[in-house]
Amino acid sequence: MQQRTIITIGFVVLFYGAVPAAFGSTDYVISSIVAALTIAGTAVAWALLGNLGGMVSFGHAAFFGVGAYVSALLTMNAGWPVFAAIIAGGAGASIASVAIMPALRLRGPYFALAVLAYAGIFRILATEMEGITRGAAGLLSIPRLPTILGFDLGTNIGSYYVILTIVLAAMAAYAWIRRSEIGFALLAMHETEDATRILGVPSTRLKAMMLVLSAFITGIVGAFNAHHISFLDPDYAFSGVWTVLPIVAAIFGGFRTVSGPFIGALAIYLLDQFVFKSLLPTGHQIILGAALGTMILLSPDGLVPLLGRGLGKKRHAAT
Amino acid sequence: MFELGLQAIYSGVLTGGYYALVALGLALVFGTMRVINLAHGELVLLAAYVAYSAEVHLAISPIAAIPLSLVVVSLVAVLVYVLLSHITRDRELNSLILTYGLGIVLTNLMLLIWSADIRSTTATWFQEGAVLGDTLYSSRSEVIFFLVSLVLVAGLWFWLTRSWHGRAVRAVSSNRDAAMLMGVNPRTTEVLSFLVAGLLATFAGIALYTGKTIDPPLGHALTIKAFIITVLAGMGSIPGVLLGAMLIGITEALTISFVSTSLQDLAGMVLFLAVLLLRPQGLFGFGTRRG
Amino acid sequence: MLRLENITVGFGGLTALANVTLEVGARELVGLVGPNGAGKTTLFNVISGLARPKAGTASFNSVNLLRKPVQARARIGIARTFQIPQPLHELTVRQNLIVAQTFGAGHRNARRIDEILDFIGLKRKAEENAADGLALSEHKALEVGKALATEPKLILLDEVLAGLETAGKRQFMQTLKRMHQEAGLAIIIIEHDIETILALCQRAVVLDFGKVIADQTPEEIFRNPAVMRSYTGATPGA
Repeated sequence: MQQRTIITIGFVVLFYGAVPAAFGSTDYVISSIVAALTIAGTAVAWALLGNLGGMVSFGHAAFFGVGAYVSALLTMNAGWPVFAAIIAGGAGASIASVAIMPALRLRGPYFALAVLAYAGIFRILATEMEGITRGAAGLLSIPRLPTILGFDLGTNIGSYYVILTIVLAAMAAYAWIRRSEIGFALLAMHETEDATRILGVPSTRLKAMMLVLSAFITGIVGAFNAHHISFLDPDYAFSGVWTVLPIVAAIFGGFRTVSGPFIGALAIYLLDQFVFKSLLPTGHQIILGAALGTMILLSPDGLVPLLGRGLGKKRHAAT
Repeated sequence: MFELGLQAIYSGVLTGGYYALVALGLALVFGTMRVINLAHGELVLLAAYVAYSAEVHLAISPIAAIPLSLVVVSLVAVLVYVLLSHITRDRELNSLILTYGLGIVLTNLMLLIWSADIRSTTATWFQEGAVLGDTLYSSRSEVIFFLVSLVLVAGLWFWLTRSWHGRAVRAVSSNRDAAMLMGVNPRTTEVLSFLVAGLLATFAGIALYTGKTIDPPLGHALTIKAFIITVLAGMGSIPGVLLGAMLIGITEALTISFVSTSLQDLAGMVLFLAVLLLRPQGLFGFGTRRG
Repeated sequence: MLRLENITVGFGGLTALANVTLEVGARELVGLVGPNGAGKTTLFNVISGLARPKAGTASFNSVNLLRKPVQARARIGIARTFQIPQPLHELTVRQNLIVAQTFGAGHRNARRIDEILDFIGLKRKAEENAADGLALSEHKALEVGKALATEPKLILLDEVLAGLETAGKRQFMQTLKRMHQEAGLAIIIIEHDIETILALCQRAVVLDFGKVIADQTPEEIFRNPAVMRSYTGATPGA
């Protein structure tokens, strides 16, 4: 516990202090880190559903896109303040997740694929509902993040603090749930569902809660991104990238730990951006796919546990 | 109105034949290994691209390219199997993620080799009209591969129920240990089912190449379509796949005729979700897959 | 308290339970005996919700049980143990009990958890991983502990004594007796060992081929030659 606290504090100091100090003046680097954190937020949400809910989702792009559209449209058409709209974006994604809830009764792979098919619906809807979304033409000049207390959050460095806070809050929520009774029950459900239900655990309801929360976080991240980029169209908002990169990041970093998806996202995104893309301008995702496959075969629990094991730590999921 | 509807249903049935070809391999592998191969659509697309290369570089027709496509696709299918067999823990979910990753690799490999350009066959013979009874229109490719599909579905059904190997495949799918006691080597039958899935994917790919246009992202869309059909069919039901495929084909064709072309995929997905939620055992399947 | 009427359960062509009628009152301690495959565990599955009867009714304190899902039955006061212990994976012994208490009893009480740990003799092992840090007898004790933590009114014990050596068995029986007396629980216990049933129970119900063939005091049961033939015939030396 002591050690954990020290690591957490060091981590916060590093990301709130040292990173902006080092890269704050290089727009290109800091905007790449913002993009990496966007992936990290989605990866954390994905891992929360995967580790605690026991469900693999191939459809997080849907939640990301719904959050983005809801928030963008509320600010543009209804004049909502940006931060309120971002929260509403998360709520919108949660509502979108309710429609897929009956699929929770299905076991692992069926859920994964039901979500995959489900996600396809939203891109089509966003394209077709031109009256609301302006269709394939997209939304331009979405309001940027506001200036608060003289600090312009719309700049790259301002956005960096916002997304960092969102991601850390998501990680804190994940960590808190994992160490709560709900987290215990959810973890136990993976291997021993009957034995868990016998004790009174409403397994489907808990899984549903994780789905709603995961969608909420993803929606918030998507909404943030819409205001950061200031542009949306259906192909971008619901792009498969928002599904692929978080999965690769979470698997790579280790989706059974809280910090794994975060570390995985930074590593994978920055490698992709600065190394893979320059090696292979088109088709650089081939490396991501290969990395995903390799991780699953060699160390399905990801890099973080692998390193942890190397340091002689004991692997305990819930302690 | 009536004629338009009739034409839509006719097109839908023919398209359903092609969809069945796409979905059968996925259903078969699921039936034997309880694994959903998320790279299956990419195998179909790969067959189409091999036919494209054969046409461009060897100047042979897509039909003549079948053996070549078959070799390439079978090799890749076996490679997928070999990788899958190395998964030890959490097989259901890890195999999904693994084949998802392989799908990404294959898509991007095709992008690197054949670029993002949209390709189609130069053998226009396939795309010429075939008219049935003066009123129902389709392309030659659609009719040919509809018939091929019927033959392959019947053949697969016959193989699974009548032949020793097919029965072994079914035995392994229902009880691996018992099958081993009966002298069936599960690995052999699993490789076999992947090879047959490769064969089916090859024919689907040639049907695709002769009838439509191809580009690298199509593989992923095909995987989703195959999965949707497999669920509609009731996982593991072979005749159900044909019926499910036709249902999707008809639904899409009716949507195109009476609503809008761009809502084509939406109609299929809504149908899929409705079935998944209301009748999770599939339209034509038995048993249950509730958790 | 528990009332089963004409419960019939079948798997395929096989009938696992045929017209089983059984009533268990509050604070009763009932032994459920019979040869292997007689349907004893199936009966537990029906009561706890893991098996669905084809016919019959079941109620618990006048609540219709058959309409309640597994987890809801825990919350109205039915607990069970599994013949093959099923510790909750990835959790410590204490966390196992915390889950049972939070969801089964509906509240948190850390002192009560400590009492249960004491009671089942696992205080020293409280922070061990439940799935791989325990011996068989400790696994069995944890099964009972989890059931107790849900604060049940009726507890179904499925061969909690099987596989223990004599000393462990005697100790465990003491625990069971205390549990019955102190907590005022109704208990149904599946057990092969005749002496255990004689020592523990006021009443014994014999199942054979899915039917109740006797429902008497243990002494009467074991004097009944028909029962003994069916019973000992199938489990020599048990």
